[in-house]
Amino acid sequence: MQYQSQAVAKPYFIAAIGLFVGQILFGLIMGLQYVMGDFLFPAIPFNVARMVHTNLLIVWLLFGFMGAAYYIIPEETESELFSPKLALLMFWIFLVAGALTVVGYLLVPYAALAKMTFNDLWPTMGREFLEQPLPTKLGIVVVALAFLFNITMTILKGRKTSISLVLLMGLWGLAVFFLFSFYNPSNLVLDKYFWWWTVHLWVEGVWELILGALLAFVLIKVTGVDREIIEKWLYMIIAMTLITGIVGMGHHYFWIGTPEYWQWFGSVFSALEPIPFFMMTVFAFNMVNRRRREHPNKAATLWALGTGVMSFLGAGVWGFLHTLAPVNFYTHGTQITAAHGHMAFYGAYVMVVLTIISYAMPVMRGRAANSNKSQVLEMWSFWLMTVSIVFITLFLTAAGILQVWLQRVSTTPLGFMAAQDQITLFYWMREFTGLVFLTGLVLYIISFFVGGESKEAA
Amino acid sequence: MNNIENQRSRFIRPCTRVWIALLVLTGITYGIGRMELGGAQIVMLVLVITFIKGEMVAGFFMGLRKTSLLWRAIMASWLVIVGGGIAIAYLVGLK
Amino acid sequence: MSTQSLTLDKHQPGTPPGDMAIWLFIYAELLAFGVFFLSYAFARAHNVELFNESQQHLNRESGAINTVVLITSSYFVVRAVAAIREGLSRQCAHWLSAAIGLGGVFLVIKLFEFHAKFSAGISLSTNTFYMFYLSLTIFHFMHVILGMVILAAVMLKARRGGYTAEHHTGVETGASYWHMVDLLWIILFPLVYVIR
Repeated sequence: MQYQSQAVAKPYFIAAIGLFVGQILFGLIMGLQYVMGDFLFPAIPFNVARMVHTNLLIVWLLFGFMGAAYYIIPEETESELFSPKLALLMFWIFLVAGALTVVGYLLVPYAALAKMTFNDLWPTMGREFLEQPLPTKLGIVVVALAFLFNITMTILKGRKTSISLVLLMGLWGLAVFFLFSFYNPSNLVLDKYFWWWTVHLWVEGVWELILGALLAFVLIKVTGVDREIIEKWLYMIIAMTLITGIVGMGHHYFWIGTPEYWQWFGSVFSALEPIPFFMMTVFAFNMVNRRRREHPNKAATLWALGTGVMSFLGAGVWGFLHTLAPVNFYTHGTQITAAHGHMAFYGAYVMVVLTIISYAMPVMRGRAANSNKSQVLEMWSFWLMTVSIVFITLFLTAAGILQVWLQRVSTTPLGFMAAQDQITLFYWMREFTGLVFLTGLVLYIISFFVGGESKEAA
Repeated sequence: MNNIENQRSRFIRPCTRVWIALLVLTGITYGIGRMELGGAQIVMLVLVITFIKGEMVAGFFMGLRKTSLLWRAIMASWLVIVGGGIAIAYLVGLK
Repeated sequence: MSTQSLTLDKHQPGTPPGDMAIWLFIYAELLAFGVFFLSYAFARAHNVELFNESQQHLNRESGAINTVVLITSSYFVVRAVAAIREGLSRQCAHWLSAAIGLGGVFLVIKLFEFHAKFSAGISLSTNTFYMFYLSLTIFHFMHVILGMVILAAVMLKARRGGYTAEHHTGVETGASYWHMVDLLWIILFPLVYVIR
């Protein structure tokens, strides 16, 4: 580790992995509730499990991004963090606020939670992904501002590189778009219109900048390819992301009461959204093929390549599958969306966070790479998790196609619940695959505790 | 100074001719538009003119004619696909 | 130490002028516009009468003049590249300024056109034709602005003597992008203003 203050990333990464486990456990609970409706009822109803599953995902990715930024920025700017103490303080605030929120979700009925947390004064709750009580939302803003202040000050006093600037742009965008979670117009169309700005302009816009920057950083480290070349790729990817992603977000506006032109804008631009992801794949493989050193951390390289491939498949291909308005007319809100959501989140954002953790954790623990034994185990976890997410996606896609057919296309359409009954087989297979995923995750955690001969710091 | 003379005759002069040709072809396209001509033959003529203009800009102005086959092929096929697609769509519209 | 193939910086024989990265970008842009052009064409096929009727209200003259303006501006950029290949920085900068000026003329003409349409109460929601007309031309409009910004950056550097007869990738990079903006309009004009 070149700079002392990079160490603040460690608690962030540990918390991220811990919350990741929680997310998967709640995913498994929900998965079972799909086929055994009263499982754990009334202790954890389906809507609560779903809320915890999605909220934990977002929060642990945020922990991952913040940790990544704290790790990368000192090295990129060649200076210590502006304030490591502030970073640690924010970590605890964020963790406690997050934990309290989840406890609130689980122990108190949602309506009562809303009342307890002054939702009447400023109603923001009750919307997917934005379920957090007002104090939590405000807490997130405080943490994000302190984080951005810390990072921005560090960049201002140090060397300015493309990677750190792109990362900073992505992080600022993240914070700015979160502000729309406070805006809750009573007009339902407007409400939905801006609701999409928070999480979906993240994943199709500013988060891709973060993704690109993290990937570029790790690739520079593990391949030794000239920074200039990597930065040029990064710029191209960013440009394509912004051109396609911002307007392409219009594919969410198809059937919610917005003007008709969104069907054209959304279809045309989002059809191009796979391009930056495809460039990301080519980028990762190209750089690794032209590597000028053999970095001992093979696992990190594997995660980086995996990010390239899986983000293209999950976000690019599975997104394209149902992004054109005439197709989406039939598929919106079905299991096809769920299939896309799972592979896109895993392939793009989960994997890039695991990539940076895989690269940075050994360094923070005083070695260039973990022992062979540990890396082999990590690679096993890579394959278990990745292959099972592929199968989860395939099962959900099959379920979705069947659902669309039975519920929306057939001449004698079934009701929603009747259609669900017909696809339980796929839900069972998905649940089983989910257990394999959990196994992969457990192996991943074990790999941190496997000793053996470690590679010395370079 | 031979070099300079060389580049003038190899680069500037052809491009000047292309520029004039582009202006003339634009005039023809505009004339067709002004007379509000339509129909399959006319539209095919307009599209062929557009293809020629596109190839001239790509080949001479952008300098693609001196590059390898791959680069020229990407540009040419883009022009063919877009122009051809427009032609097909026009014919579909005629029914 | 330089790495071969796809280095995106060294110019090799057989590859187009300018930085490789701009060419990736150009092809991606062409793809985006290509999809948009074809969407227009096929939307028209389902609604020929509406498109033909609405098209008559366009200002064909300003469309044609703008084509001439962009083609000429492109030609000036060619002259700028030719100048820097001879090491003539000042001339290069002058040609670029002229090209940027013509870009400005294009924008002004276009603004008059937009103003006329907007004051007639036309918007993206008027009908499918105007949706395409407005979004295609506005999307292109923004590319003209971006192209002018790039050319301006190149021009300022050329005026400072930042390029030489041997090293002038930047000029060729900016030029390639500007020619693409021209090329797109060369297709957009007949497609939207002429074909009926």
